[in-house]
Amino acid sequence: MSEKIKDSIFKIWLTMSTLVLFIIVVYIFGYIFKNGFDSINLEFIFGNPKGMPLGSEGGVFPAIIGSLLLMVIACIFASILAISTAIYTVFYCNVKKIENIVHLIIQCMAGVPSIVLGLFGYTLLVMYLKLGRSLLSGGITLGIMIFPYIQVRVEKILREVDKSIIESSYALGVSKVYTIFKLILPLCKSDIISTITLAGGFAMGAAAPIVLTAAVIFAPVPRSLSSPVMALPFHLYILTGEGISLEKSYGTALILIVILLIINFISMLLGMKRKEHN
Amino acid sequence: MKNIGEKIFSTVIKLLTLFSLLILIFIVIFIFKESFIFFREVPILKFITGRTWNPLGDPNKLSIFPIILGTIYVSLIGILIALPIGVGSAIVLSNYTGERFKRYVRGIIDILAGIPSVVYGFIGLLVLVKFFEVRFSFPSGESVLAGGILISIMILPYIISTCSESMEKVYKEYYQYSSALGVSKSYMIRKIVIPESRRAILAGVVLALGRGMGETMAVMMVIGNAPIMPKLLKKCQTIPSLIALEMGMAEVGSLHYHGLFASGFILMIILLLINIILYFIRKSIDV
Repeated sequence: MSEKIKDSIFKIWLTMSTLVLFIIVVYIFGYIFKNGFDSINLEFIFGNPKGMPLGSEGGVFPAIIGSLLLMVIACIFASILAISTAIYTVFYCNVKKIENIVHLIIQCMAGVPSIVLGLFGYTLLVMYLKLGRSLLSGGITLGIMIFPYIQVRVEKILREVDKSIIESSYALGVSKVYTIFKLILPLCKSDIISTITLAGGFAMGAAAPIVLTAAVIFAPVPRSLSSPVMALPFHLYILTGEGISLEKSYGTALILIVILLIINFISMLLGMKRKEHN
Repeated sequence: MKNIGEKIFSTVIKLLTLFSLLILIFIVIFIFKESFIFFREVPILKFITGRTWNPLGDPNKLSIFPIILGTIYVSLIGILIALPIGVGSAIVLSNYTGERFKRYVRGIIDILAGIPSVVYGFIGLLVLVKFFEVRFSFPSGESVLAGGILISIMILPYIISTCSESMEKVYKEYYQYSSALGVSKSYMIRKIVIPESRRAILAGVVLALGRGMGETMAVMMVIGNAPIMPKLLKKCQTIPSLIALEMGMAEVGSLHYHGLFASGFILMIILLLINIILYFIRKSIDV
């Protein structure tokens, strides 16, 4: 009897928790979409922020472009390092101990809080290297943030490549470089790009690292790498935190979420393409 | 010619790897360098055990004990709320659902993990904080509890994905035996799957703790940012929000400025420790 009661309590717990999960997801998206929809129009998407205090009227176009540019720079910076590190650990590292150390360091990097990365970017890039609050400083800081994420996943993708393909290539006397570039990377291309895209989404949504390194309350669409930028998450924070305009913050949140959903969707499509191939 | 290309490539790969690993050391060194100046003025023990944070007063008034407590408190509340929901959903996901449904839910969880923290903070401020103020007529809805609830939603994806991965393995391993013995599914999950995946649950908790303690924007918007001893329904302050809020105001080179770096340094050390622990837990799961 008591087993039966335990069993039903257990089942109730499972149902409740799944239900709560779904309610949370539906509520968050419902809330943003329902409230944000009214403040979206062409002027909001393609206009500059106006009004007094700034942002209470007008649009968020510079912030959209700024966020996208930050994302692109972060992705380029992070993926060069991450893919190299992954190739090193999978194909070049023969000592188990070194591999373990690399993994430990990357795990630790993933754990450094984004605000500390912001502090780091601020001292090294903004102060010492004199890059100033700029697109470049912010992009690199965000790149450091998403580097561990990309590295871990790319390494996993590379390890999942069929060992026999690699062995046969070596057996034919094909060099390592040729094998990597002509055989392995083309095979994993869409998976790797899918990972980078997803990581780009994270970079775009992060506000803490760019508060100190890149974002400003107002800047036109950036002309060069050294100009300061507006970014959607920071803009949303300012609008809400300073209580400038509720309507505009709903709109900004919606645009941010929609762009991230599109990025997620693209990443999912790329991931699926590979599965159809197999 | 071929050999030269090979050599160049392997050198470049090694250099880039070295560079990416050095970034972590750079981060530690730079943050330490800036906080070292502070620790020469204020002893580190005093800094982490003293109870007042008053950047405009004399150096002895700069200490972050309540803020460290606040950081831990908010994350613990978050884990306390998220753990039952997360483990429950992970069990359903890994034991009760078909492949297709699983893929959809995974997608939804990925999206949940991808929602920027500012958006969480925004919703938290407009919904949670307001709810506390209107329904329970708190003097201020900004509280440890609001931060904890928000954190719990943000760490749910991490707990679910860590747990469900390992639970799936255990389930596949034992399902045939237990069904051959005529044991009911829920009994099997209770007696085998959950005990067997307790390390994964622990890993999920530690990962979530790290995420929660490092979380900046969402928490900052709902906890009220008052550097006092944290109480469940009162305002508090966490280290990340302290840095994000006051960095812009602090004069470069002042003690306040270096004090913020020092608190960042303390936070980083705590999180590095958490992640080293996490690394070893994960390793023990794989073996």
